[in-house]
Amino acid sequence: MNRMQARLFTREVLPFALSLLALAAAALLIDGVLHGFDAVWVGRHLGIPGVVMIVVSLVYSLRKRGVISVGRPATLLRLHEAMAWAGSLLVLVHAGIHFNAILAWLAVWAMLINIASGLTGKYLLKRSRKRMDEARTRLQSQGLTPEQLAELGYWDSLTFDAVKQWRVVHVPISLAFGVLALAHIVSVFIFWGWN
Amino acid sequence: MKRPWLLIVVIANLAAVLALVFIYPDLMVGPGPLSKGHAELATDCFACHAPLRGASSQRCASCHAVADIGLRTTRGVAIVATPAKVAFHQQLIETDCVACHSDHQAPQLTRHSRKPFSHELLQAATRERCEGCHQKPTNSLHQQIKGNCAQCHSAKGWKPATFDHNRMFALDGDHNTRCETCHVNSDYSRYTCYGCHEHTLANVRAKHEDEGIRNLDNCVRCHRNATDEPGEGGGEGGGRDGSSEGSGHSGRDRRERD
Repeated sequence: MNRMQARLFTREVLPFALSLLALAAAALLIDGVLHGFDAVWVGRHLGIPGVVMIVVSLVYSLRKRGVISVGRPATLLRLHEAMAWAGSLLVLVHAGIHFNAILAWLAVWAMLINIASGLTGKYLLKRSRKRMDEARTRLQSQGLTPEQLAELGYWDSLTFDAVKQWRVVHVPISLAFGVLALAHIVSVFIFWGWN
Repeated sequence: MKRPWLLIVVIANLAAVLALVFIYPDLMVGPGPLSKGHAELATDCFACHAPLRGASSQRCASCHAVADIGLRTTRGVAIVATPAKVAFHQQLIETDCVACHSDHQAPQLTRHSRKPFSHELLQAATRERCEGCHQKPTNSLHQQIKGNCAQCHSAKGWKPATFDHNRMFALDGDHNTRCETCHVNSDYSRYTCYGCHEHTLANVRAKHEDEGIRNLDNCVRCHRNATDEPGEGGGEGGGRDGSSEGSGHSGRDRRERD
């Protein structure tokens, strides 16, 4: 049991935590560099490419829901993960300019929760896929019997249910982030002097 | 969706947050509290901000008439300050209030991107008239000086002063005297050594004539202080008045004579 717990920690909990830590560390590093060169103002502009990257990452969501039919879903999922992570990094650096507005902070917290949720989904998918592959391999080596087929079906349904349940949480969190970020962006456009 | 209640809760919360943006814009959207004088405008963002164009100098001027800034309050009451403050806003090259002022109390972002007051924003004539805004230091040196501050000081800061008199001539012994003695009419680009009783053209000529020295105006070319032996100085300013080149009593003159 302890061995299983250790494996769970090293293979699933640790990579998850490391992804979040890497994001925080990279944001702090970039913020530190900007402070070092007295160029903190650059962070104000990093919000724009950050949002663009996050929006581009949503191509995967459109593909998955059939709104568009271009691109391989598996490739687009990797693009979604990478672009959302990098875009979030830029937005985090952008947030490091110490703005005081509550709305902007709510948007940042919603983004962080969204990242945690996204990484959770990523590892749920990874774990489910791995279990399915293991089951298939085992069944193929032994020959498919009705019972084994039932087991395969069980893993399929478990995977489907786990991801589906996760999506029930992830979509509203994404919606909250999207609305708060949009409200922040609109308020900036209304009140900020761009000249 | 099997559990739309979660989505409904999220949407309800978002609606509440967006409502708060309109009820408390100063907290939800504002980057910081307003200055004390503008506290009553805290929830009236468009008193200063023009939609899509940011804080507008025109809106500032609708209350703060440029002609009155520093002289009268927005209610027309004369401003009496001790020590008296100088009204200089009328002398700026353009009305760009947000170039220097952020009414929201200094978030880091705007503190870095905002320009502090710069003398470059003043009209040229005002910029050259330092005494229009700055009081002269009360020490004896500065009390003798009339204008021309830029000869020693830059508009970026009072210190470091760029002028070190010892590099030109050490004010030792009897030379620690009034500036006017050597710099007539406070013109520090020129000097004369004949402003005191000790040095007259006659006695200087008598001392130098035997040595074949003809230029008797550019003394600091050889004399950098009251005590050292004359020589080609390593300091600056020897040829400042343009009269010394080729005609001063340099070491070369003396070698030729010998």
